[in-house]
Amino acid sequence: MDNGKNRKYTEAPIKILLAKPAIDGHDRGIFVLAKAFRDAGMDVLYAGLLPTPEEVVDTAVNEDVDVIALSLLNGAHMTAFRNVMEILKKRGINDIAVVGGGIIPDEDKPALEKMGITGNFGPGTPLSVIINHVKKRAMEIRKLRENEY
Amino acid sequence: MNIDRLTDGILKGDYRSIARSISLIENSGYESRKEIISRIYRYGNAKIIGITGPPGVGKSTLIGNLAPMLEDHGKVSVLAIDPASPFSGGAILGNRIRMQAALTRRGIYMRSVSNRLYNGGLSEYTWDITKILEASGSDFVILETVGSGQADVDIMNIADITCVILAPGLGDEIQAIKSGMMEIGDIFVINKTDREGSYLAIKDIRESLNMSNKLSTPVIGLNSITGENYDEFVAHILKLDKKNFREKYYRKLKMVVMETIYNKYSKYIDSIEYNNGILDKDPYTMAEEILRNGLGKVRRTYNSHSEEENNHIG
Repeated sequence: MDNGKNRKYTEAPIKILLAKPAIDGHDRGIFVLAKAFRDAGMDVLYAGLLPTPEEVVDTAVNEDVDVIALSLLNGAHMTAFRNVMEILKKRGINDIAVVGGGIIPDEDKPALEKMGITGNFGPGTPLSVIINHVKKRAMEIRKLRENEY
Repeated sequence: MNIDRLTDGILKGDYRSIARSISLIENSGYESRKEIISRIYRYGNAKIIGITGPPGVGKSTLIGNLAPMLEDHGKVSVLAIDPASPFSGGAILGNRIRMQAALTRRGIYMRSVSNRLYNGGLSEYTWDITKILEASGSDFVILETVGSGQADVDIMNIADITCVILAPGLGDEIQAIKSGMMEIGDIFVINKTDREGSYLAIKDIRESLNMSNKLSTPVIGLNSITGENYDEFVAHILKLDKKNFREKYYRKLKMVVMETIYNKYSKYIDSIEYNNGILDKDPYTMAEEILRNGLGKVRRTYNSHSEEENNHIG
């Protein structure tokens, strides 16, 4: 939202899927994010506990989300996030943005970026930073889709 | 826009095309809605099963059990509606979590949408979305409303079969004879029969239905944890014949036509701006004039009117 302008309710809300695609039961943080995204005017889906990467992609396709937000606190991000990206690639889906977050060491971030997972926010990141990043990625995707259909 | 490719995908049952066209219908306005629906309107013949009831009675969990059982009799799709926030316009679409496991196992298509602050327990585009799901080759479309109150009865105009889901402890026999939701059910379900008071709840509803001469309306007690009595529930849904629904379907169409006309006219009426002469007319005369002169003339009539007035004064 630009400064000095009111929010337009006619705009279609951004649709985002929050998922923890591996064995990780720490869902307090993701609930905080879900509420923050809702308060930012988005339609928020949460994939529930312990979805497989296939389930995450299935859900994202069926619901036609703009953004998948992956989160892991257990250190499996290099495997699980990559799995999700590989399934997306295999199905030829390039019009869904993927952002990441969780306990991710700085050394891993360039590799994740290279896979196409942006953001990769750690603990202590202000919610507004995350929301703005998601909005930016969603707008890119919306522009891409306009050309598609 | 390549709508032909999309609608071909819908008719083939391709999940990506279905999902994308639902988004287009929700987001891209009247024109693309018309384009999509006019292409697929003649296809599909599904029973539309409406699931409604107060928040927290187990609607989503019930669908998680019901959908795989119906899948044995034909293709199933699910549409679930959740409420949007009146403050931010955002929504948490949480229905999916309750049925995720069952749906993934059988590969059932499920879509959750926000009601975008539309009243009545549905979203503005519910009819269009059910039409898409029908055209995708579904034999059953399960439609879950927002957790609804006594007056959210729009579902009865869209669904072929309306199932009202209740739970024990929601109220006494006076609640059971009230108007609104208690009148629209084709099947009544008391969920959570393991809870105390479920027998009384079934009895109260049975009695109030008997009083209004609805002896044939089933009241079923379900237990969604053990799956008790679900066979009976499914049998009742299968028993209802789609042929009996032509009149209901016409009512549905009438509703969509009315809404479309309302939306179109209100845009024009909105565009009439304040001018000197406009307060002279009472609203009924004005409305009749607008109807008589047609949409195109509305603006011209009223704006030229204002010019005359201005000249007159000048």
